Amino acid sequence: MKDWLHSVRTLVWKDLLQEWRSKDMLTAMFAFAILTLFIFNYAIELSPVNRAEIASGIIWVVIVFAGTLGLNRSFIAEQDQGCFDALVMAVPDVSAIYFGKMLTNWLVMLFVSVLILPIYSLLYNQSLFNAGFILVLVLGAWCYSAAGTLIAGMTVQTRMRDLLLPILLFPILMPVNMAVVKAAGGILAGAPLMDVQAWLVFLAAYGIIVTTVSIMVFEYVIRE
Amino acid sequence: MTLAIRQIAKSFGQHHVLNSLDLELQPGELLCLLGRNGAGKTTLLRILAGLLKPETGSVWLNNQQIDYAESHARSNIGLVMHQPFLYEHLTGIENLRFYARLYQLADDETALEAALAQVGMQRFGGKPVRAYSRGMKQRLTIARALLHSPRILLLDEPYTGLDLQGSQIFNQLMLEQKQQGCIILMTTHDLSHALPISSRFAFLARGRVSDELTNENLSLENLETWLAEKLAKPLSAQKRAAA
Repeated sequence: MKDWLHSVRTLVWKDLLQEWRSKDMLTAMFAFAILTLFIFNYAIELSPVNRAEIASGIIWVVIVFAGTLGLNRSFIAEQDQGCFDALVMAVPDVSAIYFGKMLTNWLVMLFVSVLILPIYSLLYNQSLFNAGFILVLVLGAWCYSAAGTLIAGMTVQTRMRDLLLPILLFPILMPVNMAVVKAAGGILAGAPLMDVQAWLVFLAAYGIIVTTVSIMVFEYVIRE
Repeated sequence: MTLAIRQIAKSFGQHHVLNSLDLELQPGELLCLLGRNGAGKTTLLRILAGLLKPETGSVWLNNQQIDYAESHARSNIGLVMHQPFLYEHLTGIENLRFYARLYQLADDETALEAALAQVGMQRFGGKPVRAYSRGMKQRLTIARALLHSPRILLLDEPYTGLDLQGSQIFNQLMLEQKQQGCIILMTTHDLSHALPISSRFAFLARGRVSDELTNENLSLENLETWLAEKLAKPLSAQKRAAA
């Protein structure tokens, strides 16, 4: 277990260092997120009545689609340079590769979220810095990264990866999308955390189940 | 410590690449695997590395079947393939540090610098790999493969991109590995460089080792003649010979 955690830490360190230097994922995700926010700003006039529900939807749409761009690029270095083979041979357990990538994708998604929340607040004159709302985003991004990293590991080995990833991923994420929008909408509308507790528990359970299953099957996904 | 490959078979669809292949390597031996393009040399190396599962057959080390699910079995192997397995945005030393940590080696900068120095790359360790030439990447790849002191080395076209000095450094390293009892299986088309370090040559055809040649005072001319004969033979004749 100690070796496994050491490998995960090493993989995350490498991925973050590489991302910091290349900015492959961050540039694409941030550019897409900003563009989408501006388009929504021109297209949708928010009234005090619908503001909470629509804000949660807009933010999650931006994060999900930006996240897909990031996921598509998360395994590119391994695929282009053949590093998958070297990683498989070096790690104590192949599941460490999945967990390391999942953590990196999660951290990158959270970083992009941190960048876009103040921009949204400026554009729509609505503060989103609410502990409950941020908790929903953290849980939602975890669920998204858990499922997305597994699917990205599969699709990166295909020629149609850009197309296949959203086709395979979005149906799996439907329950997450619903839970995030409902929970975040409720919180922004001023509902107490207890009222959206069921959605939060659902997100936590989804994250645990998908992460556990992915750890178990990742070896079969990337081999042959 | 003997490496025994027994009855390995592998197909891709209808194409039988390896067909009940048997091979045995002794410690300190370097076997140079020769054959036509597509003969199955890389496939064999990938199976031995545990990256491909054979349909039948098994690989044994010291009379024990290698279980590739075990991490220590995989970490016994050093691998050099066509692709460099390097991260372009990391520096040379960062790449080595990354792999050293994955292999659970102690953080030892001196050891990493020594690994770079042994392939003549000590001056370039701080540069990102994307600025390296093909030959420099290959040198770093060799350093990466040797980093965890593997007992088995699998080398697919290791001379690719290496200049004369690089090839000489590589040969010297392989001689040292042989002295330490490492088992080395190498594929190459570069006979002149492979001859001084190879213990044996094996020709792969129709998914099997169809012929072998021991390197006892073997001249390059004789080796080239032997190989030319093998390559000139129609595949059907080689199939009969292998059978």
